Amino acid sequence: MRYLFIAIAATFFFIFSIGAQVTGAAQAPPESVFQQLQRTASGVRTLSSDFVQEKHLSMFKTVVSSKGRFNFNKPDQLRWEITAPVASGFVLKGDKGRRWHAHTGRTESFQISQEPVMKLVADQLLSWAQADFARIQKEYRITVLDDAPVSLRLEPTSATTAGFLRYLLVSFSPDGRYVRTVEVHEQDGDFTRIKFVNTAVNKPLKADLF
Amino acid sequence: MPVPSCTIFERLYRFLATRRRALFGTTILLVILATLASTRLHIEEDIAAMLPDDGSSVAKDFELLQLAPFTRKVVITLSGGEGTDPATLSAAADRLAASLAGAGVSKVTTGPDSAAGGLFRWLGSTLGSLAGEEELSRLGTMSTGAEVQKRLRASYESLLSPEGWALKGSIQNDPLSFSAVAMEKMRFLNMIPHLRLVDNHFMSADGKNALVVLDSTVSMTDSDGSRKLLERIRQGVAKSLPQGVSATVISGHRYTLVNADTIKGDLALILTVTSVAVLGIYFFFLRSLSAVFVFLVPSSILVIASGVMACLDSNVYALTLGFGGVLLGIADEYAMLIYFSCRQGGKDIGTITGEVARPVLFGAAATLLSFGVMMISALPGQRELAIYSMIGIVASVAISLVVLPHLVKPLPQAAVPAARLDLMPRLPRRLVIGVWLGILLLCGWQTTKVRFNGKLSAVSMVTSELKEAEDQVAKTWGDVRGKALVFAEGPDLDAALAVNDRLFARLGKRFAPGELVSIAPLLPSSALQEENRQRWISYWKDGRAARLAADLGREGEALGFSGDAFKPFLERLSTPPPAATEEGMRAAGMEELVNSLIVRSPGGVRVLTMVPDTPEAIASLSEELKGIPGVRLVSQTRFATQMSGAIVHDFTRYLTITCILVFALVAIIFRNPRRIALVLVPVVTGLVCSLGIMGMLGMEFNIFNIAATILIIGLCVDYGIFTVCRLTEGSTHAADRAVLVSGLTTLAGLGALALARHPSMHSIGMTVLLGIGTGIPAALLVIPALCREEES
Repeated sequence: MRYLFIAIAATFFFIFSIGAQVTGAAQAPPESVFQQLQRTASGVRTLSSDFVQEKHLSMFKTVVSSKGRFNFNKPDQLRWEITAPVASGFVLKGDKGRRWHAHTGRTESFQISQEPVMKLVADQLLSWAQADFARIQKEYRITVLDDAPVSLRLEPTSATTAGFLRYLLVSFSPDGRYVRTVEVHEQDGDFTRIKFVNTAVNKPLKADLF
Repeated sequence: MPVPSCTIFERLYRFLATRRRALFGTTILLVILATLASTRLHIEEDIAAMLPDDGSSVAKDFELLQLAPFTRKVVITLSGGEGTDPATLSAAADRLAASLAGAGVSKVTTGPDSAAGGLFRWLGSTLGSLAGEEELSRLGTMSTGAEVQKRLRASYESLLSPEGWALKGSIQNDPLSFSAVAMEKMRFLNMIPHLRLVDNHFMSADGKNALVVLDSTVSMTDSDGSRKLLERIRQGVAKSLPQGVSATVISGHRYTLVNADTIKGDLALILTVTSVAVLGIYFFFLRSLSAVFVFLVPSSILVIASGVMACLDSNVYALTLGFGGVLLGIADEYAMLIYFSCRQGGKDIGTITGEVARPVLFGAAATLLSFGVMMISALPGQRELAIYSMIGIVASVAISLVVLPHLVKPLPQAAVPAARLDLMPRLPRRLVIGVWLGILLLCGWQTTKVRFNGKLSAVSMVTSELKEAEDQVAKTWGDVRGKALVFAEGPDLDAALAVNDRLFARLGKRFAPGELVSIAPLLPSSALQEENRQRWISYWKDGRAARLAADLGREGEALGFSGDAFKPFLERLSTPPPAATEEGMRAAGMEELVNSLIVRSPGGVRVLTMVPDTPEAIASLSEELKGIPGVRLVSQTRFATQMSGAIVHDFTRYLTITCILVFALVAIIFRNPRRIALVLVPVVTGLVCSLGIMGMLGMEFNIFNIAATILIIGLCVDYGIFTVCRLTEGSTHAADRAVLVSGLTTLAGLGALALARHPSMHSIGMTVLLGIGTGIPAALLVIPALCREEES
């Protein structure tokens, strides 16, 4: 009986130690991947891209697709605009922001710091646009799924974010200069996929965009 | 005419004359024991000393005023200079909060407990229990076909925006933004008018200031603990704040520390100056080694009174000990009379002691009576002062009559020139009486100008630095502390909430949300919530829920929503909504608000409402709220008025009782209307002049002036008795010298008290200085002028 107990314990120990090694490897991605991404991103001054967003939500009968355009000007200017099926969007410039809805014709200004949800969104968009991994690593446990091109899985570390966000999947362009796809997976199984297409790096942007 | 004598002291003197070693040994032992006992004393700088503890409305109001939000908290305002952005301030606030956590600090708050999401969910889910008729009517307007289309489209747009994944849950549960109706109820919970939430931090409207609030375990009246706490905050501020960001700290601890430090500094100054001045006067007038013994009498009684107090109760108010300086100065008139009489000699010391014992005992009885009246005071500080003073007076009389005669040697008769004994110059009688009457009339007229100030700040030390800090906090955050408090009381929370509902029903119509702070809109009583629930259910049952479901289905279909996209929302319309509870509010991030507005105490719960503290509002509310049982209004401005009323009432009562008792005593002793009137001349002069000059100088009368007034009566009666005994019973001029020198020592002692920075001590000093300063010339000049024929 005693031998049986030792055998079971040894088996469990073996299984868990393998698991720990796997998990440990996944939680500690090679620093060179981030360094490489950050190095290539450091040369990015502007980004301009079209995007297609797919909402896979149980609230909708089918997948809802929308199209829009994204512009980024280092360090903190960003324009996110949906052009179809409804026209709306926002512009961020430092701590200040402006949003609009075409169907109401209303434009309103806001301060990012006073809108918790908008701040969360702005932080995310700017972190990815700047490839600010120091900031991202504070909030997510990152697993490198692929390194050519780089593909990452991010799980939130804070309980508040984990309340509605399960994980993110982020894929970079082959040269690592910009994000090609983002998938936001929620706790209830819903997810949103955003594909960035026609991305232009360091193309001069009109000042009035922001 | 033979001088009346108290033979018991004469006999006691003769008995002890052969046992002097035992007498001196016992006295020294007594003083040593008292010194040892006094080391047990623990000095308290507690405001409770100045507040009635008789269960009156004033004491109760003060107790309730302490329950106001932020009263027991440490409020730190971080201010950034030009160009400092809110992010820098909020980061500094977080760093400071992290550095302050630990001993003496139970909680540090820089923002609401959680993000706004929880609050919206809670508001949305409990709306059915909170919405009254008016809100239901508004929801009806928000549920029309056109509105459903417009609102659903806005929700759809939000879902497509990057914020959408964070808002999905809210949209499923509340696609038409019904929670906005509940959100409006939050307007009644704005306790800090100029507060904004920036990045989940408390910020001022201009974004230039951040707020950090500390809950401390250190009692507000604990000066040592306050010192340590404020030092920790100072170090935390120095360590955590970047250049260009400064901190302003406001809390009761700062007031306690300022007052404690001021009183301690004053005590050192007063005791030093008084001791030096009294010693100087003794040596100037007495120029004898025996004077050392006279000086030792007041020193000894100070120690004895402190020692006895330590045996009665080791906790003594600092102000009581501060008064020791005065006692040291005033309690020497008995020793002085014995000393001068014995030094003058001419008779056997035993006989002299017996003769002098009469005026000494009469004077002491009158002084004890006047202090004894203070024992009926509602203020614990005044009662303690009375006990302390009476112990000192009894000790002074005992040492003066029993010990001192054995220590004073009479001067040889040739060494006592008659001119030195008759101290006061013989001024024209009519001139003295005329000037006296003139001053009395002028001062009597000016007494009507004396104003009573019941504000505790009038007897509390408030430095300009503290005042500036208070002004800055008020300017930055709005009138946080200047609101009147209305308490809805009940044996349990629900009973108190029911009272609070009735209160809000009255006040909600009267004050705008910014003026009125009440938890009633978000936490009604269970009865009102049940009423709301029933109304909610019947409202939606009446075909409205079905119509809304159909509209939502149709509009949702057009936008691509699935059939059960808004199932949670529609279910809420047809099922009884959950109750809004205190726990729910806490979980939704409103813990700080709940803690501020719901106060539990043994035997009951109080729910707090805040209203503007203007005289007009308080006057009308005082009457109006009488009609709601269980409601109590407490206002700072009304409290000050009530305190003033209490002071006037106390003062009138003291003055009346003391005057009656002292008059009765003097009447029993002298049994002659003319002599009685003469004895009372210094008292009347001292009282009228002190009050008159205070009125003339625009000085206000506070609770400490009452103690001072009693002192004037006690001392001036002594002077009157000594002088009248000297004039009418054939005593020697030693009485005049005793009155003058002991009067000077009193003025020296009180002069030092008037130097005090602390308003309470300064008040006592100034008042008695005026009273005694006029009472002494009245005794030495006016009484002889009025009774010259009797003297002759």
